[in-house]
Amino acid sequence: MHQQTAARRLPELTSPARRALIALLAALGVIAIMVAGAANSTAASKKEPWAGATTVGFIMVGAENDEGYNQAVYSASLQVKQALGVKTLLAANVPETQQVTAVMQQMVDQGAKIIFATSFGYQDYAYAFAKSHPSVLVLHQGGTYTGKTFPANLGTYFGEAYDPVSLGGMAAGAVTKSNKLGFVYAFPIPQTVDNVDAFELGAQKIDPKAVTYTDATSEWCDPLKQKAAASALLSTGVDVLTQHQDCQSTVVEAAKAANAYVVGYHYDAEALDPKGWLTGSVWNWAPLYESIIKTAQSGKFTSSKYNANFIGTFASGDNPLELAPFGASVPSSVRPKIIAYENQLKKGATIFTGPIYCNNGKLLVPKGKTATPAQINQFTCFVKGVVASGG
Amino acid sequence: MSEALSLPTAPVDPPTPTPARRSLATIASGLANASVWTRLGLALGAYAVCLGLFSLVVWSQGANPTGVITTIFNSALVDNGSIDQILLRAVPIVLAALAVSVPARAGLVNVGGEGGLIIGAIAATGTALYIVGPGVSSVVALPLMALAGIAAGALWSAIAAVLRVFVNANEAVTTLLLNFIANDILLYLLYQPWKAPGGTGQPQSKPLSANTTLPHIFGNTLNLGVIIALVAALGVYLLLTRTSWGFALRVVGGNQRAASRAGLPVKRLMISSMAVGGGLAGLGGMLYLAGTQLQLLPGGTATFGYIAFLAAFLGRHNPLGVTLAALLFSAIAISAPGLQLNYGLDGNVVDILLALAVAAPLAISASRKKAF
Amino acid sequence: MNGIEQTLISGVEGGTIILYPALGELIGERAGIVNLGTEGCMLAGALAAYAAAATTGSAWVGVLAGMAAGGLVSLVHAWMVVKRKADQLASGLVLWFLVIGLTSVLGASFVSSIVTPLPIVRVPLLGSIPWLGDILFDHDPLVYASYVLVGAVWWMLYRTRAGLVLRASGERPEVVAVAGRRPDRVQIAAVTIGGTLAGIGGAQLSVGYVDSWFDNMTNGYGFIAVAVVLFAVWRPLLVLAGSYLFGIALAAASVLQAHNVAINQYLLDALPYLVTLVALVAFARRGGARTPEGLARALNNTS
Repeated sequence: MHQQTAARRLPELTSPARRALIALLAALGVIAIMVAGAANSTAASKKEPWAGATTVGFIMVGAENDEGYNQAVYSASLQVKQALGVKTLLAANVPETQQVTAVMQQMVDQGAKIIFATSFGYQDYAYAFAKSHPSVLVLHQGGTYTGKTFPANLGTYFGEAYDPVSLGGMAAGAVTKSNKLGFVYAFPIPQTVDNVDAFELGAQKIDPKAVTYTDATSEWCDPLKQKAAASALLSTGVDVLTQHQDCQSTVVEAAKAANAYVVGYHYDAEALDPKGWLTGSVWNWAPLYESIIKTAQSGKFTSSKYNANFIGTFASGDNPLELAPFGASVPSSVRPKIIAYENQLKKGATIFTGPIYCNNGKLLVPKGKTATPAQINQFTCFVKGVVASGG
Repeated sequence: MSEALSLPTAPVDPPTPTPARRSLATIASGLANASVWTRLGLALGAYAVCLGLFSLVVWSQGANPTGVITTIFNSALVDNGSIDQILLRAVPIVLAALAVSVPARAGLVNVGGEGGLIIGAIAATGTALYIVGPGVSSVVALPLMALAGIAAGALWSAIAAVLRVFVNANEAVTTLLLNFIANDILLYLLYQPWKAPGGTGQPQSKPLSANTTLPHIFGNTLNLGVIIALVAALGVYLLLTRTSWGFALRVVGGNQRAASRAGLPVKRLMISSMAVGGGLAGLGGMLYLAGTQLQLLPGGTATFGYIAFLAAFLGRHNPLGVTLAALLFSAIAISAPGLQLNYGLDGNVVDILLALAVAAPLAISASRKKAF
Repeated sequence: MNGIEQTLISGVEGGTIILYPALGELIGERAGIVNLGTEGCMLAGALAAYAAAATTGSAWVGVLAGMAAGGLVSLVHAWMVVKRKADQLASGLVLWFLVIGLTSVLGASFVSSIVTPLPIVRVPLLGSIPWLGDILFDHDPLVYASYVLVGAVWWMLYRTRAGLVLRASGERPEVVAVAGRRPDRVQIAAVTIGGTLAGIGGAQLSVGYVDSWFDNMTNGYGFIAVAVVLFAVWRPLLVLAGSYLFGIALAAASVLQAHNVAINQYLLDALPYLVTLVALVAFARRGGARTPEGLARALNNTS
């Protein structure tokens, strides 16, 4: 059957005129390919594979409506989509296992040229993927690449959390009547220690007698443990709560139930507790994401500032972490002080200016000196005023 | 499966056969009573119901059921590089499933696959980083790590076994509790003594040096662990069917009292079956660490142990069936990202399919006998 | 308020969350059926309660929804085990897995919902007793209901005919059959009641205590409930003690930290599970003789 239909078609193709036409078209085609190839190869040395990318992938470790870390990423992705007109691929609840490799592959299969892996634990998988897929741009949120040569298609980025957290601490110091603040966290990693210390030091600026009690839940989002921690802290007399967790609504609700105040993290959750919400350190990723994407789209990513371990800071004006708007409970007398200090931070000041002592008496930052970001990111001791036995 | 049919049939039940746990023998004989076509029809019907229920859930979330099922199929078999990922992920699942199946022969329920994987990975990491060091050849380092993983896993499960044998503490519950404790041990090690120096202090051990990682095979993705896992499955099959120990386990599993009356050392057999199971899980942890993760990380084996438990039941505790079930589950699990990207479904939707896949044979494996 | 008082207060709150599924599991196991899917019943109850409360604005409607969800899941388990003769332990675990998947998918949109939790009500008179008043009588109504429930379960088991039939179904079902009852129906009813109670426990967690919903938020507490029943040798008062023991261990971890007692945080995190394990070991030996025979067959494969 097949042969018959083929035979019926062949006679047309075999006429000499047609053969000549086909040969001509083929030749033109070959020439066209050669010209295009030549054009490509002269540009290839300059053109990055993701230049002009129209599809961007975002991978999140938790739920995109967690009122916390992941929702911040999600909201930013929506803004990016609208502002830049790119197609966005979203994956949420992707665990920090080799599953993320499969997700990245799937995104690439669907046309993504730029992928934002937004959880620290994706680190190894993201770096391996970047190595095995040199034509895909991989951005890792929160990590640090420590290899000898920085790959051309990789970038890590994060913000400086302790700056806005110290501002939140100031607000807490202003409203506390018991002089006791409470901090719920997961593990005493340097990032968290920085936050706890910044919070306490910020509070001390307004209320020198402020003390911060702490509770470690050993989980990033376990509501039962968060509630138990919040209750325990409140029972010691704490009247302002804050936390370094991935999800915050349980702690906010706990504060609400106890008529205490709360300083948020990751995301503006004022709607959950309008009376108790003071302020918070909230992510505004969109400007950073857009800047990275635009740099990539214009083919200028390699050797740019993003092709490195990038940390956005207040001082350089590109900190993705900002201070949330003040809640109604922040006294109007203290707001100008907080804004004033925020402006100082934006000029390069930092809360970690000596003399600062650890709560075990050791000297952390000498008098007259200022800790550098590199030093700050290695802090392991809690400062004087923090009631905790870590460090 | 043939050895299941040649098991001594369960003794005449005392006149109180409440819905008690059936041994392999009674399930098999129950099924053997029905004609082949009825069995096939029942199985197909049950799976059809499963797919139907799954489709219902999917549709309720606004996704197209046929599209979803096609995506699952495609991502398992058609997509780029999936076979590699399926095989890699199947390594810990197969071993953890075997860890369930060996004690199951002796009538014990081991839900500690998760804990075994964790403890095995811990022991292997400790050996690689603090005992072996980068100078030692792989030929020595890797087997040492494997031995450490096996020994640690065996000891961990033996705790539950001893508690069961001497204090009558139900092993399903104790192994579950031990899973939680194993996780806390892991967190402690990663945040305190074994914390990688430098970096942002996030939980991870120092990366394994090249001599302590499994070599690649067939290219750059698969590693030796895949071969080892398959060999282990074969080994377990031989152990259970060709050794007197394996036979003794089955007698204990069939009727504990009769076995002890027949002079079998029931306590020793129960403990050794759990120890072997734990050792297998420990090996799985070591292989996953040294082949895929390349450093100790928290949550790396998240839910593998429980998926493995389901695979063991689906595979009817037969090493070949268990391996196939593990591969099937691995393949289904790999489709999760695609479902999310294409249909906006939560990745956990595949758990529904996995659970239904095991629920189906459970529901149809009824014996014809009435209970009372 | 000192640390011990706070530990006991949080211990009662956390303990109640374990107590409901534990009492439910007690009823089921007395009838000879173990339900490892209790965790799934709790989780389903937690989501159903939160979702219903978010949609209707009433946490009490949520509690009803939680009961229904927990009961439904356990009904499936009962059917599988009693009618289809499925392996009890496998059936429970499979259902748990199924519920994890279902609640992740169906619950995704409720993560950011705002729900008004159950009200905290201080019992008049009793609530003014120093110390005890704070610890026992200043919680939400489900906690008070659980006090009554323990007594009711005890009464039902040992003082009513229904309890006798229930216990007999777990020990010697053929006797029950001879007496003209249907032991299989008793078992299905018992397991379903058990799941309904587990659903209340889940509701207490999501709309009573923490006032939020997150994926897999029960985090193994349903399995703890099963363990509690085992080491409480199937006696309601001991189940109460065991549940509170776990709740107190959980609360102690937080309180010790807040008061800066220098105990390793990972040890504290493992403490509740260690405590449960030790209790299981300490009391299980005694339990051997008291195990309902049907359950013994299910758990130990002796015949």
